[in-house]
Amino acid sequence: MTATTPTAERRLGSPEVKRWIQRHGWTVGIWLLLVVLVIWYTTLIPKFGGFQTSTIITGGTSWIFLGVAQAVVVIAGGLDLGVGGMLVLTSVAAAQFMDGQSLGVILILAVLITIAAAVVNGLVGWIITVSKVPDIVVTLGSLFIYQGLALMVLPKVGGGTSGSFRWMFTGSENGIGSNPWPAIVVITIPVVIIAWWMGRTRSGLSLYAVGSDKTAAFLSGVRDAKTKIVAFAVAGAFSALAGFSSVSISGVGNPTTDGGTLTLNSVAAIVLGGVALTGGVGSVLAVVPAAMILFFFNPILSALGVDPNRAQVIQGILIVLVMMVAGVLEWRRSRRS
Amino acid sequence: MSDTPNSVLTAKGIAKNYGPVVALRSVDLSVEPGEIHALLGANGAGKSTFVKVLAGVIHQDAGTNHINGDPVSFKMPNEAAEAGIATVFQDPALIPDLSLDQNLTISGLQHRDVEPWLERLKLANYDFGLLARDVPLATRRLIDLARALALDPQLLMLDEITAALTPEQADLVFDVMREWKRMNRSVLFISHRLGEVLSICDVATILRNGRDVANFSLDGVEESELVAAMLGEALAGAAPAADSGLTSSVADDTDVVLKAIDLDFRGKVNGISFDLRRGEVLGLTALEGQGQDELFALLSGDHRPNTGEIIVNGEPMVARSPYDAIRKGLVFVPADRQEALLPQRSVRENLAMPLYNRIERWFNLRRDEGKRVGAAIERLDIDTRAASQVQRLSGGNRQKVTIGRWLVEDFEVLLCFDPTRGIDIQTKTQIYELLREVAAGGASVLIYSSELREIPLVCDRVLVMYDGAIVHEQPAATATEEILLTAAHGLEVVSS
Repeated sequence: MTATTPTAERRLGSPEVKRWIQRHGWTVGIWLLLVVLVIWYTTLIPKFGGFQTSTIITGGTSWIFLGVAQAVVVIAGGLDLGVGGMLVLTSVAAAQFMDGQSLGVILILAVLITIAAAVVNGLVGWIITVSKVPDIVVTLGSLFIYQGLALMVLPKVGGGTSGSFRWMFTGSENGIGSNPWPAIVVITIPVVIIAWWMGRTRSGLSLYAVGSDKTAAFLSGVRDAKTKIVAFAVAGAFSALAGFSSVSISGVGNPTTDGGTLTLNSVAAIVLGGVALTGGVGSVLAVVPAAMILFFFNPILSALGVDPNRAQVIQGILIVLVMMVAGVLEWRRSRRS
Repeated sequence: MSDTPNSVLTAKGIAKNYGPVVALRSVDLSVEPGEIHALLGANGAGKSTFVKVLAGVIHQDAGTNHINGDPVSFKMPNEAAEAGIATVFQDPALIPDLSLDQNLTISGLQHRDVEPWLERLKLANYDFGLLARDVPLATRRLIDLARALALDPQLLMLDEITAALTPEQADLVFDVMREWKRMNRSVLFISHRLGEVLSICDVATILRNGRDVANFSLDGVEESELVAAMLGEALAGAAPAADSGLTSSVADDTDVVLKAIDLDFRGKVNGISFDLRRGEVLGLTALEGQGQDELFALLSGDHRPNTGEIIVNGEPMVARSPYDAIRKGLVFVPADRQEALLPQRSVRENLAMPLYNRIERWFNLRRDEGKRVGAAIERLDIDTRAASQVQRLSGGNRQKVTIGRWLVEDFEVLLCFDPTRGIDIQTKTQIYELLREVAAGGASVLIYSSELREIPLVCDRVLVMYDGAIVHEQPAATATEEILLTAAHGLEVVSS
């Protein structure tokens, strides 16, 4: 290999750059797709400013958090159908307990709810590793349980939170404004932390190891059970963040929100984000634009004047098309090497 | 066996069963500082199981293990590494979807920890940003080794590390081993290549049937003596084929059903040719990783040869998938019984599966076919209480189902890959009888077996593979374990 390196370098220019693009091709591509869609969208509507930007980013926040939650579990070789239910449960818990409290108390409550969500969902991961029942079965159960608990915490639409807490997730005290920055910050910090953890640390890389090759992971000293529990706990925490975003936008808790649909959106987001459903491959940094794109479909289609009833069909077709294109590219790449 | 107080490793009475199958009966082993210790034995002697126990991959059922005199019991391989045992396993332990650098992070290492060793292995400037799956196997083995060395263990265990390496790369590994020895560290070395064992190792422990049967210094020992030690004296009276009454001789002029001509495949199969005659049971044996897996993949239609031809009944076979091979009459019984069966379905459905291959039978089997399935179940003598789900059957009964499902459909050649691995002796006998019956019924059988002593029991003729080529051929009746093991090590068979 020492003999081939110089010639390869001459032919390819900088191999590091080329490989970086190849390795992170999906992430780059999906961000580009988002940029193209945004630019296109600005030409479709008469006015595009802070308000429109804020609406899209704020609305997409919970999609992003839920997508990241799902991505963490799927990269570790699992699947969590419960994330949508956890969003509903944490959002109504927030609305129930935060209503009328001061910001200090609300922030403490937010931390407590996040920790509780992590512990409870980690317990689901533990049940899976101990019982050896497939993830899809156990988390289908947890989805129903979370949804049911939500109705027990808050029987009907109601509750609320403070304006300053809503501002943190929406840039406005009443949930709709023209300042996208708070939402951008609130997305960026946890996502960057989780991306760093998964890409650079021993415990974070263990998620990829277990999802990629269980036997090799075990031989490298990675504990399968512990890793799975950690993945589910992180998913629970991110579902709670999604719940806070949701309650900040609407200002109330709604226990009748369909968590199942939210879960399916999170699965669509990770698939579009290039996370392999078989585990071990993908990046949360690509899930962020993918979730944004999925959320963005609706405003674009309504700007185009498409009947909302048909919008879902078109959305489904577009997802399949994108996946097919990606599949062909991947196939060509593997044939070349 | 020497048992000095300063031994690096002292294992005593290590035993391990997998269900009814005994992998290790009782193994004692001690490794001294500054010693390169060879662990030798025929296939299935228990070498890899023993290494896995020492490395903390599996737990022994009985026996004790001491490191530097302290008792140890590991739950995970990394615990063994912390205690001073690092292992390069037979299966690559690098995570395919992570880069090499990330793989180091997983083991708690940094690139600079492995650098000095990479330099010695001529990988100093190797690109560690590559995904492990894109790295050639031989390089992965060397990086595995560098990683194990960087853990700075007192005892390094190398399970078949040279199998995937070129001679030049193997020499680099030997240099590192010598250096390791100079540092007064120890190596436990497993290899099928007896020449390299003699040139690099100081002492050898021989395993046979899950026991340590010999332990001696390698000074002045010859390869043939090692083979003799692996076989042991017990073998002198091994049951010859004639006694079993199972084998039959097939006349040379019987028509050839399957003919392989000069098969080549990705450097793993190199110019293999053979004939399989009607009604013949042809045996094939080899050490692990000599290309037998690839040869069976070619014959069963899973891969296509790079060059060469497979002729079935006088017609060349070009198989795009196993379906084409099955249509030609070549049916395959894989070693992994899970691979071939529908574990949640009944024995009956599994047996009928090949029949559903024809579209006109998707909804209804013909009446006589239903009967044939029923007859096959009876023939296989399977406990029907467990028959509602194949996954509840024992390994032996599952294997009978994998063979039996081909009995309900006509076929020309049954390709069996290690069909009796991990199966109790009674079921083994039933499988031998089944195979002989298949041959007596006019079909042919090609059977790969890693158990040398079953070759004369069931085969008419035997081929031995080494390094992708057939190195030996003879009638099975006179194929002693000694001859087969000698040939399988690529050594010349001296007719006595």
